[in-house]
Amino acid sequence: MSDIGEWREAADELNVIVRSFDEGEVSVDDLFAKLERATAIIEALEARLETTKAKVEELAPRIARAADVE
Amino acid sequence: MDSNEALSVEPILEVGEYYNLLTSQLESAYGRRHPRWVRGEVAKVYEKTHLYVDLVDAGSSSSDSKRPVLNAHCWASQWNPLKKKLAADAVSLQPGMVVTFFGYVDVYAPQGRIGFTVTEIDVAGVLGDVARRRQELIARLTQEGLLEANKRVPLCAVPLRVGLVASPQTEGYSDFTGQLLNSGFGFDIVLVKTAVQGEAAPAQIVRAIETLDQHGVDIICLVRGGGSKGDLICFDDERVARAIAVSTTPVFTGIGHTGDESVADLVAHTRSITPTKLGEEIVTLVASWYEVNVRSNAKRILNWTEALLDEATEYVAERRRTMIFAVRDRLRAERRHLVTTHQHLVIQARHLLTTAHQMLAANRQLLSAYDPKRRLAQGWSIVTGPNGAVLSSITGVRVGERVSVRLSDGTFESTIDEMKGV
Repeated sequence: MSDIGEWREAADELNVIVRSFDEGEVSVDDLFAKLERATAIIEALEARLETTKAKVEELAPRIARAADVE
Repeated sequence: MDSNEALSVEPILEVGEYYNLLTSQLESAYGRRHPRWVRGEVAKVYEKTHLYVDLVDAGSSSSDSKRPVLNAHCWASQWNPLKKKLAADAVSLQPGMVVTFFGYVDVYAPQGRIGFTVTEIDVAGVLGDVARRRQELIARLTQEGLLEANKRVPLCAVPLRVGLVASPQTEGYSDFTGQLLNSGFGFDIVLVKTAVQGEAAPAQIVRAIETLDQHGVDIICLVRGGGSKGDLICFDDERVARAIAVSTTPVFTGIGHTGDESVADLVAHTRSITPTKLGEEIVTLVASWYEVNVRSNAKRILNWTEALLDEATEYVAERRRTMIFAVRDRLRAERRHLVTTHQHLVIQARHLLTTAHQMLAANRQLLSAYDPKRRLAQGWSIVTGPNGAVLSSITGVRVGERVSVRLSDGTFESTIDEMKGV
């Protein structure tokens, strides 16, 4: 997994890449590099999200028991 | 008449004879056939099959050595129905109580005592006195600020450490503890066993309250199931009321009764009408705290967690879609640009070719104008020297040299005879 830093930091970097596409600032030479970086960030964020979801799935029933909302 | 004269007139009596005389005299005036109502304050009361009561004048001082005392007794055959009648109204004879007995004189010679046999008790009067004494106690407690004292003791938010003053093996005990233990909350019950009825009960209850107050529990619960008024009289005891009032721990009562509230109820921090109800109210206290501080927060955490994960999931998915479309759009744009450029180049190339073609045609036309054959046909000739080079000047040849002359339809050789400049 690429080093993408904190979630917010990675999301900001991803937003910058997307914005550069939106504003047509990406040259063909840069396109692959930016797409590769964006893909790495997205996959890292997804992996992190899945890990977090798995942890939440473990904890949620315990919190739900306290809340009686299982 | 002096004593000597009396001796000569009246016969000398033996002690027994004297008591017989006395008894007959008293009984003829105050005996079984002439019962009287007598009112007095109970100085001492003692029951052993029969009832024994020492009555004194109401309000008299115990330090007064000359105050009259009436040794009253009520035989079991009379006392048992009277006792039941009193018990039905939650009354038991207690020192200090003012009562009115109906009965007759009873001389007991073996102990030289003149007693009083009780055949009836003014129950209404006793009840009135009990009520009066109760009201006086409440008034005293109010005046001393004790009625509200325990109510002012702060109650902790989650009273899980419960000091319990009760008698195990009673319904009240099991009803109360059942509510707590089946609530699902971790109540820690510290029990101090006491009697909850009878003469020993008040002192035991007081000690239990004091012990639990020192123990550091969150609340003290005084619990007693339903019973007759007589059974519950200990909860009107002044010692119990004062122990509750001065306790630094909130005292809750769950005393089952159908009549007036006990003084203990009035003095307590919180009172419930039964042990079960008291248990329910304590559980409700804890449950309310739990609802506000745990359950609702847990729900909020779950909701926020779910929302955050949904938001993050949607964010990543949206970014992924955006990237796919952005790259696709970018590539399409580049492709369009290339196609446009290509088309432009093709047009340009075609234009260049056309122009070149036109130029070539023009040149060809121009060149055709300069075609030597055409000139030769017009009568022009091309002269080449001995070395084969085209002669455009006479300087390249000398007289006597041979030159070749080309015409439109052939060549001939010629020798230079003479040269003239122009």
